[in-house]
Amino acid sequence: MAANIYISNDFINGAKANTPIGLSVFAYGAVLGMICAQKGVEIYQLTLMNAFIFAGTSQFIIVDKWNNISEIFTIVAAALLINLRYFLIGASLNSLFKKSSLRDKYIYMHLVADENWAVTIERSKRESITPLFLFGGGICLFSIWSTGTYLGYIFAGFISDPSKYALDFAFIAIFTALSFNLYQGKRNLIPWLIAAVVAYIAEYLLGGNLYIVLGAIAGSLVGVILEAKKNE
Amino acid sequence: MNSHELYALIIIFLVSIGTYGLRLSGLLLSGKISNEGKIRIFLDYLPPTLLLSFVTPVILKEGLAGIFAIFLIAVCMYKTKNVFLSMVIGVVTIAISRNFFN
Repeated sequence: MAANIYISNDFINGAKANTPIGLSVFAYGAVLGMICAQKGVEIYQLTLMNAFIFAGTSQFIIVDKWNNISEIFTIVAAALLINLRYFLIGASLNSLFKKSSLRDKYIYMHLVADENWAVTIERSKRESITPLFLFGGGICLFSIWSTGTYLGYIFAGFISDPSKYALDFAFIAIFTALSFNLYQGKRNLIPWLIAAVVAYIAEYLLGGNLYIVLGAIAGSLVGVILEAKKNE
Repeated sequence: MNSHELYALIIIFLVSIGTYGLRLSGLLLSGKISNEGKIRIFLDYLPPTLLLSFVTPVILKEGLAGIFAIFLIAVCMYKTKNVFLSMVIGVVTIAISRNFFN
């Protein structure tokens, strides 16, 4: 019984911890809903995307190409390229799921988004938490995201420029704050700088969203090389 | 169902399967290979480097206001460790810059 209470606490705590970043998710969802209404996306199509894709940026890509929807290969490839980072995000959750059953992994991984992943990783450095924390955050974000898209869809005509309120910067601010909490000392400095510089250059040269994956791989590889040299 | 609806459903289906596959396979593969030392270090470095890769180009696109916002967030995190407060400070800084200095 006590174990059950502890586990459900993790779920609730995860949902609570993701509420601030939910502000940003809500605004982002509202913008998607607005675009969906303009492009003639049906509510059931929006709902299917929210429930089964649950990855904002790739949903934007699909809706953006709504008038050329017959280019199936191009659209799917572009959407999956943007979601490539989820492979690395999944890999980084390895230690959180160390004691989990395969069934739990299959269920909880679907609702992993950038936001609840970042909040969970940061919390797991300070406290011992279970994958339910991640899942609680996922359910919280899913509810907020869906609500945002529907309200945006319904009130498409009423929302003026959302970037004026800088709500799109909210998740950048939170991600930056969370990354400061992951700092473990001087040995992190060079790998982190490499990640930032490579991401910036890749974004400048390539556009798109591949820079996230390239920066992370470059920074992490430099981390491995530096630590291996130290141990020699 | 017309062909547009059918194409849309095919795309939603394929992207759903693909995205879930990426999420799950990352976790399952790392579980198989994570015991080796170098991969362990690589996985440890992934979260902060992913976050920084995410934010750096966006921050620099905001120009001086972006850098100033990050400086304030750093100070706030150092003094208070409060992520929510840091977010508010960051958003307000960018909103002021976009509305009054652009």
